[in-house]
Amino acid sequence: MKVLLSRSVVCAVGLAAGFGLAGCSDASSGRAAVKTSSVTAVAQYAGTPARVRRMTQSQYTNTIAYVFGSDLSIGEPFAPLPRTDGLLASGASSAGMTAGEFQQLQRSASAIATQVVDKGNLGDRTSPRRDFLVPCKPAAIDAPDDACAAKFIRQTGRLLFRHTLPDALVTELTGNAHKGAAELKDFYAGLATVIEGMLLDPGVLLITDSTEPDPAHAGKRRLTANALASRLSFFLWDAAPDDELLKAAESGALYTKKGRAAAVDRMIASPRLEAGVRAFFDDMFGFEEFAVTAKDPKTYPMITGQTLLDSREQTLRTVVDHLITRKGDYRDLFLTRNTFISPTLAPVYGVPSSTGWSAYEFPQDAHRAGILSQISFLALHSHPARSSATKRGKALRETLLCQKVPPPPPNVDFSAVENPDPTLRTARERLTRHSVNPVCAGCHKITDPIGLALETFDGAGRYRDTEKGVKLDTSGSLDGKTFNSSEGLGSALHDHPQLASCLVKRMYSFGTGGPLSNADTPAVEALSAAFAQAGYRVPDLLRMIAVSDAFSEVVETPAAVKTADAGQQTVAK
Amino acid sequence: MKHALTAGFSAFVLGAALSVAGAASADDAGANNVRDRSIAYAVSGGHWGLYQTADGKAECPDGINEVGPRETFKALFPDDGTKRSVVETQLAREAAIWSPEERAYNFPYHHAGGKVGLGLNLDGKVGPNDFTSPDGEKGIDNQLFRALGCLRWLRGPDGIGYHFSDIYMREFNYNRGLIELTNVDSLADDPDVDVTIYRGRDALMADATGAKIMPGGTQRIDTKFGQKFITHLKGKIVNGVLTTEPVKEMYWPFAWFGGNPGAQHILDMRMRLKLTQERANGFIAGYENIEEWYYGLARGRSTHHLAYGSVSAPGIYKAIHELADAYPDASGKNTAISMAWGTDLTQVFLKKPPKEVAEAAPAASKTERAGDRR
Repeated sequence: MKVLLSRSVVCAVGLAAGFGLAGCSDASSGRAAVKTSSVTAVAQYAGTPARVRRMTQSQYTNTIAYVFGSDLSIGEPFAPLPRTDGLLASGASSAGMTAGEFQQLQRSASAIATQVVDKGNLGDRTSPRRDFLVPCKPAAIDAPDDACAAKFIRQTGRLLFRHTLPDALVTELTGNAHKGAAELKDFYAGLATVIEGMLLDPGVLLITDSTEPDPAHAGKRRLTANALASRLSFFLWDAAPDDELLKAAESGALYTKKGRAAAVDRMIASPRLEAGVRAFFDDMFGFEEFAVTAKDPKTYPMITGQTLLDSREQTLRTVVDHLITRKGDYRDLFLTRNTFISPTLAPVYGVPSSTGWSAYEFPQDAHRAGILSQISFLALHSHPARSSATKRGKALRETLLCQKVPPPPPNVDFSAVENPDPTLRTARERLTRHSVNPVCAGCHKITDPIGLALETFDGAGRYRDTEKGVKLDTSGSLDGKTFNSSEGLGSALHDHPQLASCLVKRMYSFGTGGPLSNADTPAVEALSAAFAQAGYRVPDLLRMIAVSDAFSEVVETPAAVKTADAGQQTVAK
Repeated sequence: MKHALTAGFSAFVLGAALSVAGAASADDAGANNVRDRSIAYAVSGGHWGLYQTADGKAECPDGINEVGPRETFKALFPDDGTKRSVVETQLAREAAIWSPEERAYNFPYHHAGGKVGLGLNLDGKVGPNDFTSPDGEKGIDNQLFRALGCLRWLRGPDGIGYHFSDIYMREFNYNRGLIELTNVDSLADDPDVDVTIYRGRDALMADATGAKIMPGGTQRIDTKFGQKFITHLKGKIVNGVLTTEPVKEMYWPFAWFGGNPGAQHILDMRMRLKLTQERANGFIAGYENIEEWYYGLARGRSTHHLAYGSVSAPGIYKAIHELADAYPDASGKNTAISMAWGTDLTQVFLKKPPKEVAEAAPAASKTERAGDRR
């Protein structure tokens, strides 16, 4: 298959003429098509492997919130995923599930089911959810009502399983509800057993890339329409598809260019996009580490648990505001002085706050420009009681530039840093001494010149001019570009050619559910070029990925299982 | 930091009381909190200015008061088989708290004595009843210390009144007294600064240790119900210590037991505070009308709580009448008593209402300088 991107993306990258696709307007989104005549990204690629992914905690939470309401208490039954190729989401396709984790899921499912059929109690301030989550009233509350049960199962099961339930399954589940209601003499208790069962069903917990022959490309396969709907929804909303998207899938609209573009544009315009963007950047920035991050209260008394939670939230709010609300240039995320402040963050930044969260623009002379100067990055990539130029430099390269910094050799002597000579007062002095060891120098020279520019922020993220009375030298370089301050580092990162392409790689992986391979390089390169032509606007990038052929096409892998009957769906293993 | 009014220390010098934590960390981070020549602090702790030694012998030569409501009741109404009504026993004693008769209380009540006391020289004189501060300043006027200094209730660190005082100052938002310094050129030395007192509206944030209040919070000013607290003073800073000129009167937010809102109404009020970028502490001193002060006490504490500290409210009433040293009435009897309130404050940013809102509020600031009404 030679078509690189879907029609919409081809329009975006200006390849319309080359592929003879006329009429590349972007009317569905109301935006002008991006002029990309200079882009000549032409390469062969087919798509991504079909995968089975374990649902993530946030996907589960968002899905339950959409189906049953956001006020349900569901706990956190999912175990952490292995970070793979820079993303937790990419580890979802290689994660297992232990018996213990399944027990947690069972408890959560039971709790959810109980809440869904709750009759409510004014004294306990619980609402009668059964009255609005179950679309019918049983003829008798203490007896089975198959018609009502079936109606609920069809409606709710479709959203949970992400496709219309086959009649046989509806019949089976209705029978289970009947049996439960009869034995328990309670219609809703019978229904609860079915809800619990559905929530534990692999068809719900696992996101399966079901495939089918691609009628447009003989011998090739593509995701089924429902699998494509799931992939789109988990990518853009971090949740299962809504009814409208499922309808688009089941009507065949998702496999028309116009229909798919319309569906994607609707999803990007939805307020639910924020959940998807937050999930992606929370993953890309490695913010799950906040769960195990703490600061020494004696060294940094202003850093409470709430401060760290708020620092994570601050960066995510900044990201959403800059990239989605303002539709800003992604690279400017590392320069912007616009952010949000909470009462617990304000003392660390040394600025006034309002009750709750409020928008805030740092003054020009505040030394706070871009998310590198926010507490989340500075505190997360520091030690509990001191800053770390090395950790910060490593995080910048690996998280934001998709580079790999080798781990320290097993026999490295850390004493020079962990128990430093007291006459060495600044990090630069300590690291200079450390780096004279050639074993260490190889890696430190690629991390420390970056991180030392951020030494004007201590391990809590507070600004400082000096360390132990010594004026800090924040000069450094990033891959040939020199700077003298943290703001200069932000500018160097802004202009770094790998900054945008790294985002494209991560976002493409996030959307397609697994780590990249060499086969993905042409797609990533083409998308990167298109992203640049679009002015580095993330909503455009999301759209390009979502409407691209690669997003829906399936490549065969040795691990894929093919059915003998090409007309049947194939489930990747 | 708690100012050093706590038992267990060998010396309680004003200098120590004014010492302030907030040394720069090893990382040298720390904001300059004087912005636009202004800095503000919010109340984060406070105690009566009672000089205290470890064994109490210097300031309480007659011993610590041991006669409170329980002891008084037992003495007045012994379990001797006499039938008594609630009206003539419990209710009579409650009435004695609310309407005490100075001459009717005949139980022992020990005054504090000694030469050393905390507070400020209010009248500029060195009188026979004045104290000398731990660092040698003579003429310290603090007769309330004589009245209260030998109550276990208020002696640190275990006295219930002492223990809860910091907690009340921190946790009752009503107590959010604010002190703003403006026209500040230097926190170390400035011969002329303006000081304004407000009441704030917001809670304080504890730091990660849980033991201290975090500097750098933000307080909204109460310009509606807090008008009576707004007071303007002039002051000077010498070696990092702010000393204000006296002002005729000042209300200081004061909610004690149960958070019942009230105020210390301090006459001829002036302050002396040690200042840093993150903290301030020292004394607010002046005179308090003894009837107002007493009923503030009676309202703020139940007999139950007074009993735990062996606090005889009628005993205090009698003592403050005996020790009152200012504002004589027509008969020549003094109606006010010299006092010092030790206060701990933590740096905050102030969020002031829009100018039009502030101007619309009724003017209640008190700028009249204190006259010689003693």
